[in-house]
Amino acid sequence: MSSNDNHKGEGHIHTHQDSPCWSCRGSVDQRAPFCHACGMIQAPRPGDEFQRLGMKADFDLDPKDLEKRYFAFQRKFHPDRFATKTSREKQLSLQHATDLNEAYDRLKAPLSRAEALLESKGAGKQDQARTESDPELLMEAMESREALADAETADEVAKLEARTRMEVEVSEEALSVAFAADDLEGATNIVTRLKYLLKLLQETSRKRLSLHN
Amino acid sequence: MAYSEKLIEHYENPRNIGSFEKDDAGVGTGLVGAPACGDVMKLQIKVSPEGIIEDAKFKTFGCGSAIASSSLVTEWVKGKSLDEAGEIKNTDIAEELALPPVKIHCSVLAEDAIKAAINDYKEKAAAPAKGEAAE
Repeated sequence: MSSNDNHKGEGHIHTHQDSPCWSCRGSVDQRAPFCHACGMIQAPRPGDEFQRLGMKADFDLDPKDLEKRYFAFQRKFHPDRFATKTSREKQLSLQHATDLNEAYDRLKAPLSRAEALLESKGAGKQDQARTESDPELLMEAMESREALADAETADEVAKLEARTRMEVEVSEEALSVAFAADDLEGATNIVTRLKYLLKLLQETSRKRLSLHN
Repeated sequence: MAYSEKLIEHYENPRNIGSFEKDDAGVGTGLVGAPACGDVMKLQIKVSPEGIIEDAKFKTFGCGSAIASSSLVTEWVKGKSLDEAGEIKNTDIAEELALPPVKIHCSVLAEDAIKAAINDYKEKAAAPAKGEAAE
């Protein structure tokens, strides 16, 4: 019972990386979600999205493999498995399941996967707050948004949309090349460009739909 | 979430939308963007030989708060000296429009845009005529 745990002063869910199993006190491998000795579920350890899914931190990944791993882990933490367990175990499994879902969602899309990879390598996070990036990039973003604003027919908008979609694909391929060469600065710049492109794509779809109606 | 009346007023009737010719000697252009949300903002000032901002224009592709923030700044800077305009803080903008906490970055964008426009003007004024920065 969790109330007993609290009496023993073990009420905190977040344990340290090197802490032993909260149940049997045996030592647990840093990443293992379950204790080797007693099989008890452990609190999620700090780790990046790739570690959560047991994958190599790489931009190029096999989407089928990612999905397979996700479903395998998801089964392990499924609420049904913990229906008869203590509230603490239920809570821990829920935390694992939430972390897992977030990690999967982030790795699935190329842009967020690139961001996750940059973060795991200790780069890219501060770029979010920068307002004056590459002037050429901003000029390009401004000009394409102006072109979209000026487009009057669904046909014009569809052309812009197709072009943007192609630019997105090219950028995603460029990301793969940059990460393969461990060019983190290059990858960070492509990530920024991709964000403006995806925003543009969103706006083109919106305008195309509104012109159709 | 309830937005302030001033914010809605600027969003629905934005002041000074448009562009100046960016190569004109008296024009300073600030181009900034927020990678996180994909917003882009262009703010331009027209400066008199005495260093007073005579006119200002903006073009913003972004949310209502970003549009209102840039609209407000173009109103504020008119008639100000470059130094005075450079003193505008994002907190002044956020306060005037009563921006909610999640929209504070829009006021940061507007502050950075006016600063960038002032810098652009000063760089142009300092550079010899026809002098172009090396690519």
